[in-house]
This record gives sequence, C-alpha cells and structure tokens, in this order.
Amino acid sequence: MTILRTRIIPALLLRNQSLVKTVRFSQFTYVGDPCNTVRIFNELEVDELLFLDITATRDGRTPNLKVLADIANECFMPLGYGGGISSLDHAKSVFDIGFEKVAINSCALENPVLISTIAQQYGSQALIVSIDVKTSFWGKQTVRSIGGRRNGRHGYDPVTWAKEVEQRGAGEILLTSIDREGTWAGFDLELVKCVTDAVSIPVVAHGGAGSVEHIGQVVKLAHASAVALGSMVVFQKKGMGVLVSFPDSRNLEEVLA
Amino acid sequence: MLQTRDINQVELQICTRCIYDERVPSIHFEAEGVCNYCRQVESLIEQYGTGQPKGEALFAGILEDIRRAGHGKRYDCIVGVSGGTDSSYLAHLSKEWGLRPLAVHYDNTWNSAIATMNIHRVLRGLDVDLYTHVVANKEADDIFRAFFLSGVAEIEAATDLGYAYLLRKVAAKYSIKHVLEGHSFVEEGITPLGRNYFDGRYIQAIHQQFGRGRIDTYPLMTFSRFLKSALLGQVKFIRPLWYLKYSKEEAKAYLAEKFDWRYYGGHHLENRMTAFYHSVYLPQKFGSDMRNNTLAARVRNGTLSRARAWAEYNTPPLIEEELVSLFKKRLDLSDEQYENVMHAPPKNWTDYPTYKKRFERLRPLFHMLAKANLVPMSFYLKYCFPAEAPA
Amino acid sequence: MISIVNYGMGNLGSMLIMFKRIGVKARIESDPELLRSSEKLVLPGVGAFDAAMHRIGNVPGLREVLEYKALTERVPVLGVCLGMQLLTRSSEEGELPGLGWIPGSTTRFPRQDGLKVPHMGWNVAQPCTLSPLTAYVGVEPRYYFVHSYCVHVNDPAHSLMRTHYGLDFDSAIGRENIFGVQFHPEKSHRFGMQILKNFAAL
Repeated sequence: MTILRTRIIPALLLRNQSLVKTVRFSQFTYVGDPCNTVRIFNELEVDELLFLDITATRDGRTPNLKVLADIANECFMPLGYGGGISSLDHAKSVFDIGFEKVAINSCALENPVLISTIAQQYGSQALIVSIDVKTSFWGKQTVRSIGGRRNGRHGYDPVTWAKEVEQRGAGEILLTSIDREGTWAGFDLELVKCVTDAVSIPVVAHGGAGSVEHIGQVVKLAHASAVALGSMVVFQKKGMGVLVSFPDSRNLEEVLA
Repeated sequence: MLQTRDINQVELQICTRCIYDERVPSIHFEAEGVCNYCRQVESLIEQYGTGQPKGEALFAGILEDIRRAGHGKRYDCIVGVSGGTDSSYLAHLSKEWGLRPLAVHYDNTWNSAIATMNIHRVLRGLDVDLYTHVVANKEADDIFRAFFLSGVAEIEAATDLGYAYLLRKVAAKYSIKHVLEGHSFVEEGITPLGRNYFDGRYIQAIHQQFGRGRIDTYPLMTFSRFLKSALLGQVKFIRPLWYLKYSKEEAKAYLAEKFDWRYYGGHHLENRMTAFYHSVYLPQKFGSDMRNNTLAARVRNGTLSRARAWAEYNTPPLIEEELVSLFKKRLDLSDEQYENVMHAPPKNWTDYPTYKKRFERLRPLFHMLAKANLVPMSFYLKYCFPAEAPA
Repeated sequence: MISIVNYGMGNLGSMLIMFKRIGVKARIESDPELLRSSEKLVLPGVGAFDAAMHRIGNVPGLREVLEYKALTERVPVLGVCLGMQLLTRSSEEGELPGLGWIPGSTTRFPRQDGLKVPHMGWNVAQPCTLSPLTAYVGVEPRYYFVHSYCVHVNDPAHSLMRTHYGLDFDSAIGRENIFGVQFHPEKSHRFGMQILKNFAAL
C-alpha cells in the first residue's frame, strides 16, 4: 500500500485583507499581513497552504481577487482558497490567479450541484468541500454553515453529508471541528474517524491541533490523510503571542512514522 | 552623499577618534578634534563602568532588585525581542542570570522571514514565553503612508513609539517591574536626535493630516499615558549591555551555533520597513546614512579601524531586490506618487506639532525619572535638551 | 527568451513567477508566429489529454510551430504535468494521439487497495539517468504531484527520474532536446527551482 507523506497544511484565516485567528470561529486576533506571512512559509518550505475567509459568505462577500493574486505571486507551493465561492465563475477566477484548489462550504450546502459542476470542469483534485461540525446543546454533532452560525441542510450529520459530497465529485474533504478550533486541545478523533471510515477520498483534519502528538494521533488513530494547522502555526504557544512558525520536520517524522 | 572612500582624501572635518563628520546633527569638535559624541560615550562608560568591575557590581545590584521585585510572579522581567543580534543575545543572558523573562515583540507586519525564524528558534531553545502585539496590517500601512507623504524622515516613528509603549503595557499587565533592553552604546553609539524624533503627538498629527483610516490596533502613547506609566507603573528600563562587556561578533557566533540563529546582513535589516528606511529612504531623500552609528561605535571600541569604517560607510548600501516595489505596493503608491515624494524637499519634525517643548520644560522631572531608570537615560539626553534642526 | 506556450490550459502565471524569481527571462505566448522566435519552450498543461490535444490542433499553425521547434530546430522543450503526457504517443485518458516525440504511453494508475487516485501530494523523484535536467537536485528530491495518469517510456534511457506510487513510473523523461516532468516544478519550492534553473541553462 502506497501512502504519501502526510500533508501538514497551515490553514490561514483571511478577513478583510488581514490574517486573523479565531477560537471556535469567534474572538478574532490579528496575525499579520497575508503576503508577508506567506513569505515566511515559503522560507520554511511548507508543503501546501490553505487560505480561508470564514466570514465571506456570512458577510455576502465574494473572493478578494487582489489579495489572492498578491498571495499567489509569493508562493512556490500548492495553494488552496475557500470563502464566498458560490459559482463556477468564482472558482475560475481563483484558479486563473494561480491557486491549485478551491474550497466550498456554505454554498455547497445551499446548492450541492455546484460540487459536480466545479469537479467536472476542473477535476476532483481541484475541489475541496469544507465541512464545519459543531456539537449542539443536546450533544448532537451537526454540519454548520455560514461561518458556523447556521445549521446546514436539514441539520445534516457529518457522515451523511461527507458521503454525498464524495459522490458528487469532491476530491477532498476539509473537516473542521468548530468546538475544537483554536483550543489546542487536540482533534476530535471520533468525528474524524467516522468520516474517514465512510469515504475513500482524502480527509483533512482541522481544528484543535496543539502539539505534534495530536498530529500523530489524528493520522494514525483516526486515519486522516492530511492535517490542517491553525493556532499552532501562528502562535508561539497556547495563550502566548503571535509568531509564525511550523513544526520541526524531525518531530513530525517521529510521530508520523 | 557618499564621499571618497579614502579617509585621508576627504575634505570634511572628521572626528579623530571615530568617523562622525561635520554633517552629523549637533556635532562639535573639541580638544584634539574629538567629537562630542565620543566624549559622551566616554562619560557613559565612566558613569556605568561598562565592562569593568564597577559596571559588573552595579549590574549585580540591579539583578538583585529584579529577582526581589519578581518574587512570586510568573515573570520577573521583560526582554524586548526583534530577531536581531542584541535582543536575541539578551534573551539568552537573562536565562543565564537565572531570571524568568517574558519576551515581548511588536509586529508591524513587515518582519522578514529571518527575523521570525530567529525569534522562534531562540525562544524555543531557551524555553521563553513570547507576548506579541500585531498591529492590523492595513492600519500599520496607513500610518507608514501618512509619514511618507508628510515628507519627514521618521517613517519608523510609529514603530519605535509603539514598541516603547507596548513594553510598558505588558509590564503593567503582568506586574513586571523591569524591562531589559539590548541596546549597547559601545557597539551602536548614541543616535544623535537629528532626524530621529518620535512622540505621540507627532504621530497623531501626521496621521490626522495624511492618513486615511482610523487608529484602532496601534498602541499610541500620548504624553499622559507616558507620564502615567513612568510615575505610577514604576517600570524600570535597564540596559545590561551598558554595564557589561559585550561583543556583537561573539554574540552572533554564539547564537548561530546554539540556536541556528541567522544573520540578516546589516543592522536592523530584519524588518523590511526598517530596511527601506535605512538603505533607501534616508540616503536617497535626506542624504543621511545612519550606518555611521554602528561603524563609529566599532571604531571607538577598537573592533574596526577608522580607515576601513570610513570606506565601508562610503560604499553604497546593499538593497534587497524588489524592496522598493514591495514598499509601493503595500502602501498603495503609484510610481509617480513615490517619485514625487522622494524628490520633494525634506520636511522636519519641527514643522509638525510635537511634545518637544514640553519635554524640555519638564527636564528636571525627566532627569529624576532617568536617574531612577523609570525612563531611559537616552530619552532624557536626547529629548530634554534643545536640539538643532538638521541642515 | 523562454516561451511558456499558452494554448488555453494550465497555470502559466505561477511558472512565470518562478522563472522570474530565479532570474530567467520568460514570457507567456499564444501566438504561433511569436513562438517561432523562442529559444526554449515550456509546454504546460492541466486537465484532460484529449482536450489539450484538441486545442493544440485547433490553433492554426500551433502544432506546426511546436513540431518545427522541437524536431527540426531542436530547441530545448520542457513538458510539465499534462504537458509531459502529451509528449508520449497516446493516453488511456483519451482517444487522440499525443505528440509522440518520446516513445511511450500514458496509462491510468492501477486500481489498488488503499491507493488513492489522483496521486496528489509531495513525493520523491529519484534521478535514474544522468542528465543536465537533473543536475544538483540532491538526495531524495521531492516535488508536488497531482495527476491520475502516469507515463511509461519505451526506452529506459529516456527515463530521467522515477517515482513510486502504487507502482514505479517515469516522473521525468528526456530525449535529446525534449524533456518532460510529471510534477509541478513551479509548486515545488527550491526543488522545482533547481529543475527550471537546469532547463534554463541548457
């Protein structure tokens, strides 16, 4: 069985031309200038970058192409972008700028046909469907949309929706635990495993990474194909200051071996 | 303006001890052709006992104070870090001295990757916590742009002041009474005030006149905030390298070996705005080149010959490719706007509202505060005396 | 001047930016007449085999110029990703024949348990034949791959780098002045930069 190196992907949140970081999708903290931060990741030779604008659809905005073009001009690794993409045209404009992948979330829930439309035109490998999951007051995990604020279609459960998006042509799933996001408490291993067991396309686990050990866990125990890091790459430590960095490759190799 | 690189052929008067020449603001030449800045350094060495038993004893006393004041607290001192040599080495020293430092960094979003990686590696290696304040990139750029359009030299004023205020704020937040700064007058010299002015009123005035947005995330230190912090905050600013022996070259070597720290090719070039300021803006628009500060200091402390320092000073500075286009792009300046500003006659801080007169009037108060280390001594020396406007 | 051939498929901007970063003059060109004067050509490609061959065939004079430059004038040519697959004789992905400049074919990755297709991510490409294209790549160079079909050349001497994913396939090929890389050098950091530098130096 051939498995590629697990991809460890910094997931950077964009808001109004600045990079920010959130906790459970709220409490925005300034992290820096997108291009300047990208330069740092270039130097660190990270494998891939993902930019997400989590308030775009909520605020009724479409992708800010100027910022994305500036970012694309700095990067020598694959780039993905999600936020406010609701049509094939939006996707096209993002690809034309130089991004390899687009991610859709609320718009996919609203209009699932968009998944197959983009996949057919650009190939599944260019399309990530982003699934945000939150545990409701009653303890049930449901898919959320619009930056975490609303319940997705019919209060969908993550596994059902994941299977549907795979069937419609998504190349990858970005699975985000809203409850764990920004907490450094570790991934929601059960949630990730349920989804990875149900689909055969790669699942990128997102939300909760606080240490390389967590990364090892979500890959080995929950079978995530890739891991997206948020707080870990923009803060020095939990509760401490902003500092862009990336886990040491030797430490990563150890936990992923 | 670059002169001939041969120090013996130059027609300007140059200090016989260092390489400051007659163009340096507020310079005068005393006995034996030695400049007042050299005398100032001599007097500071005498006062602080730099690198001698007197200095070590003075500093040992200060260390005691720090430990005592920090007892029972999470951190007993703050170390400002930038990724550069002095601050990185100071972080290391603070651990050697058995202190429990909190590193503080002010991020104006123009850091080079080297600076960020250096901070990361050194602090990780030392296991020191970091506090950062990041100014929203658009806001930081608006302030830079305002300064650029205003025609004055101090494009970094907001960064310098923001950093100074941040140190005070973090000290207050964590009840820390001592801030360690990595400045070394022996390695760097004392910058003449000249075109290097910053205070809260100055920044506000320029931003009001030339800025486009609001000030939200930028930490603005107004006069009252400054005084309040100095009098009530009781935070002491200590510069260990004023008391102790320090060699920048040795520091660099140590940091590289121990932490894989990298040098970025020039004093202060770890931040791209600073790089623009020192290698493009000052030389091209103001004919001013502050490399002489570090070079003169090295001549004084014997690590560089006068002739070689002068030659280096008169060699064009290394400019990172695309630095200027990055500058224009981020600050939303057309080529035309940029050229217009660069060629317009320089303005001076004296053309805009500042607190300068107030600082001068309150000299006795600031003298007292400086003696008690509640404001930096260098602040007192530069701001509380009348200054000549540069030529 | 290196021309990156624009026939409507592929991400040309990124390629141009990397050339710029390494200090090599390059431009994006769609006009066959202007392609005629290029010193070297880069043939990019992202998408489906037939769609690409179709487009190349449809632009008046394009196929002729490409063949002239590659086979008659013999300037260095670099096919990237789908562009490399086009250099072969055929692909299982489509019906149309490829350019056929390097004998070989493009086939789908085998269905294998646990083998996720497309091959997407960073993988090692090991140089297996001495070539100026792979100079200084270092030990275990890795590159970014994203493809569902892979190339097997007929003559082992034309295989410059091999990669393992389910099976061994040719990740870089070359025959005289014609070269191809399956991975995306413009998305592979310094590893990709080395390949482009080598190509530019030919």
